[in-house]
Amino acid sequence: MKSMVKKTLIGMGVSAALMAAATAQADIKIAMAGPVSGPVAQYGDMQFIGAEMAIEQINKAGGVNGEKLVGIKYDDACDPKQAVAVANKIVNDGIKFVVGHLCSSSTQPASDIYEDEGVVMITAASTNPDITLQGYKMIFRTIGLDSLQGPVAGRYIAEKAKPKRIAVIHDKQQYGEGIATAVKKTVEDAGLKVVMFEGVTAGDKDFSALVAKLKRNDVDFVYYGGYHPELGLILRQSKELGLNAKFMGPEGVGNKDISAIAGEASEGLLVTLPPSFELDPKNQKLVKAFEMKNQDPSGPFVMPAYAAVQVMADSMKASGSTDAEEVAEHMRKTSFTTPIGDVKFDEKGDLTSFNFVVYNWHADGTKSAAK
Amino acid sequence: MSESIFYFLQQVTNGLTIGSTYALIAIGYTMVYGIIGMINFAHGEVYMMGTYVAFIALAGLSMLGIDNPLLLIGLALMVSIMVASAYGFTIERVAYRPLRSSKRLIALISAIGMSIFLQNYIRLAQGSRDIAMPSLIQGGFLMGDPNGSHIMISYMQIIIMISTVICMVGLTLFITRSRMGRACRACSQDIGMTNLLGINSNNVIAVTFVIGAALAAVAGMLLGLYYGVVNPYIGFMAGLKAFTAAVLGGIGSIPGAMLGGLILGVTESLTAGYLTAEYKDVVAFSLLVLILLFMPSGILGKPEVEKI
Amino acid sequence: MQSRFTSALFAALLTLLLGSLLLGVTMVSEGIDLVLELSEPHKIYGLIIGAALVFIIQYFKQEVGAVTTRLRGDGSFEMPAFIRTPKQQRLWGFMAVGALLIFPFVSSRGAVDIATLTLIYVMLGLGLNIVVGLAGLLDLGYVGFYAVGAYSYALLNFYFGLSFWVALPIAGLLAALFGFILGFPVLRLRGDYLAIVTLGFGEIIRILLNNWTDLTGGPNGIARIPKPDLFGLEFNRRASEGGQTFHEFFGIPYSSEYKVIFLYLLAFALVLLTLYVINRLIRMPIGRAWEALREDEIACRALGLNPTVIKLTAFTIGASFAGFAGSFFAARQGFISPESFTFIESAIILAIVVLGGMGSQLGIILAAMAMTILPEMAREFDEYRMLLFGLMMVLMMIWRPQGLLPMKRPHLELKRD
Repeated sequence: MKSMVKKTLIGMGVSAALMAAATAQADIKIAMAGPVSGPVAQYGDMQFIGAEMAIEQINKAGGVNGEKLVGIKYDDACDPKQAVAVANKIVNDGIKFVVGHLCSSSTQPASDIYEDEGVVMITAASTNPDITLQGYKMIFRTIGLDSLQGPVAGRYIAEKAKPKRIAVIHDKQQYGEGIATAVKKTVEDAGLKVVMFEGVTAGDKDFSALVAKLKRNDVDFVYYGGYHPELGLILRQSKELGLNAKFMGPEGVGNKDISAIAGEASEGLLVTLPPSFELDPKNQKLVKAFEMKNQDPSGPFVMPAYAAVQVMADSMKASGSTDAEEVAEHMRKTSFTTPIGDVKFDEKGDLTSFNFVVYNWHADGTKSAAK
Repeated sequence: MSESIFYFLQQVTNGLTIGSTYALIAIGYTMVYGIIGMINFAHGEVYMMGTYVAFIALAGLSMLGIDNPLLLIGLALMVSIMVASAYGFTIERVAYRPLRSSKRLIALISAIGMSIFLQNYIRLAQGSRDIAMPSLIQGGFLMGDPNGSHIMISYMQIIIMISTVICMVGLTLFITRSRMGRACRACSQDIGMTNLLGINSNNVIAVTFVIGAALAAVAGMLLGLYYGVVNPYIGFMAGLKAFTAAVLGGIGSIPGAMLGGLILGVTESLTAGYLTAEYKDVVAFSLLVLILLFMPSGILGKPEVEKI
Repeated sequence: MQSRFTSALFAALLTLLLGSLLLGVTMVSEGIDLVLELSEPHKIYGLIIGAALVFIIQYFKQEVGAVTTRLRGDGSFEMPAFIRTPKQQRLWGFMAVGALLIFPFVSSRGAVDIATLTLIYVMLGLGLNIVVGLAGLLDLGYVGFYAVGAYSYALLNFYFGLSFWVALPIAGLLAALFGFILGFPVLRLRGDYLAIVTLGFGEIIRILLNNWTDLTGGPNGIARIPKPDLFGLEFNRRASEGGQTFHEFFGIPYSSEYKVIFLYLLAFALVLLTLYVINRLIRMPIGRAWEALREDEIACRALGLNPTVIKLTAFTIGASFAGFAGSFFAARQGFISPESFTFIESAIILAIVVLGGMGSQLGIILAAMAMTILPEMAREFDEYRMLLFGLMMVLMMIWRPQGLLPMKRPHLELKRD
């Protein structure tokens, strides 16, 4: 037993290790699974800092039922193969509560294992609708779905923007294509015409051919489903090659980096985002706490990860138990007040309401609500 | 009618731009292969590091208060070429020279290992996120009717094509006219014989790596300015494409690498322009397979003579 | 002495110069401008330590060289005395099999799961070994056949409800068919041309899987792939319609461990089968022909062997093992998507073959273990994992290019006294 404790200690992130060292082994362990390494590690960080902050603050306030929470990081590198190994490891280490994983393609195979083993999992970042469609009892999420975000964008296009010729582009990834398909459907249902629906390769850098094609099709509105690196380049190259169209993207592009990549071309980009939790007056104390630690609370997954830990802790307190199934049952019944607003889960384990808001993006990396 | 011709020309221009940079990187593959017969898998990473160094130099120089874009680019290019060449030299020295006498596959694995190492070294040193650089050179030429059908060529595209031509001419002169160039050619003919004639083949090989790295750095600088972003993962795909270009043109042949790069670039661009961008890599690789089926040594490669 | 010092100093300074730009400063976006900042102290310390290391290694180059030469050995490898005769070898083999059979029952679930993953790589390594190690054809797109196997099972199950056991041979056959079809045109190519074309094919298969959304689910992949059953007994908590579960049948309480252990044993059986088949093949004329072809293609032709046919069999058979491994992978994973089948996977499998000592089966097993277990153990190093992995590949090639256990033909030796 002792050697196991030792081993887990080594595996922890620095902050978690410090906290764990101070406490005995009666702690409640929470696994934080996501990419520490690999190309999307920066999104993993958002999730980790959110979850770690929640654990720290809950412990400061006296812990849960007299016990401390301990967060342990597990690296899946957003690789489905490693995600399964990590899930088995978490089960093996006797941990009953998981915040993660990040990438939908990792969350999906891992969730099968958690459900089977009676481990509560809350993902704060995976937005693929399929994850909660399996009728699982232990799987929850504290973030909106692709299928929610698409219609919001689609309705905005149809009702406010009213373009003549729309192109819908996506990056051929689970996230991007999912949203793009939803947008296309909503827009077409509203009677608008989508003249181009096409995929590009994620990680590609040259979009001049695509831009020329958009120009040829006289497109005046482009919806892009995907992440900021590609859209940033598309914007930049569109400007250089003289394409005049309005662009719009999901929360995956709403990142300060897009302004760094696209410069002036990012002015006026439309983005659907979850409401900026870090601007909510109620969260200012929390934002201060992040800033004290020199962390950025504005990432889209920071607050949802915080909320995920909080929901778990609150349920443990309320049900007076650390039994995973009891906690999961409690989570399904109750509503919680968290930094992302009032959280209530539906039958599937999704949030009953999660709003997306359309923002205007500006070249200096700020945003303002779109009319 | 004329509209579709303009569109075609626009796509060809786009293709030539990207193709030029493939060609620059492909030179590094083809020269190394021509002389020691190994695939330098880490070459794509040298290109990636060239871009990083260029960005660092640009950021550093502009912090020092230099704001003339041409001076800025010129100085950054020099820094980038110097550092990338040093890396090329070191990679050869550390990972390949001890394996000179081993089988080719051994060197290939070492090269793959080197590529993984360098990619992660940069990731740890500079972070995994995209680093963006504001565009220094904006605008372009417009040919045709601005409101109707026209071709748009940005200044950056022109710079890329002109720089590539200059590099290629310089390289050709070097290979055909200089003493070192002759030594390179001699080594690619028969390395043992070259040694016997009093030329230190190790130096020649080192020079080959340095030249390849320098051209990759030029490509890195140009593409860095064109796209404005860099991340530690760009080296792999660029390297793969450039290697494909080198094989397409006939590996070991320098004009072949240039031709291969341009063909590949134009093919990709036309596929994205007329079919769909999703399949441009499929078409690029299929083209490679087809060409190799009918010309097993590439377009300009010399057929291999089997010696017993 | 003087030159020794200066060359070491030169190398150390070069390291500093090379590292200082990339490690010493970090780029930070400030608004839309890019500015430089001095890096965190640990990077700068790393840089200084690195330079110091380079200096020391260069200064004591000869001494280091002597050690590495010893590491490299004379290229051959002698089994330790207690496993030299075939009889002893068989005994040790049985003991190893026995130990591996007991292993899952005495160790933790995480370890068994990692062991299962290792066995998949063993299978892949053995399959690729036929192509690269025995026939000497450099295949950089092996992962394509692995993907074909995985998707065969997933799709056959998804559309036709076929079970793992029915799909397994079909997956192998389909992968073999792909190997045959792809191999047919490209095997005329030589050496490195073959390498790049196979690499291209691997990429094409992945991109097609990613783009053919109607059939393969595209980037969404295929979820809910059932785990294999044991003669109709399922390992789930609750039986599916008309099914029966393992624990109900035997009247024991449910434990998810059974599933993990069963998967491990299944993988182990598949590996044993692979080993058996390949060992038979090597001793058959076709196996001899592969190796003859690797050594000298012209001589082969002169002896009346048809190189194309021989290469094609190697390619096809190698592919079929990837197909088996793939369908097992899909079953273990329960979810597959194209991102599991990227080039880096091919590179890892190839590294296993080369690291193990091309052609040597025991070596490949050891290498597969090293390649999957070491990164797992190095989890503490988190982000340095891949860096060390790459470095290890380079160093291994420099220090022991013949691999861990180079292949040895069975041969008789006269006793020298």
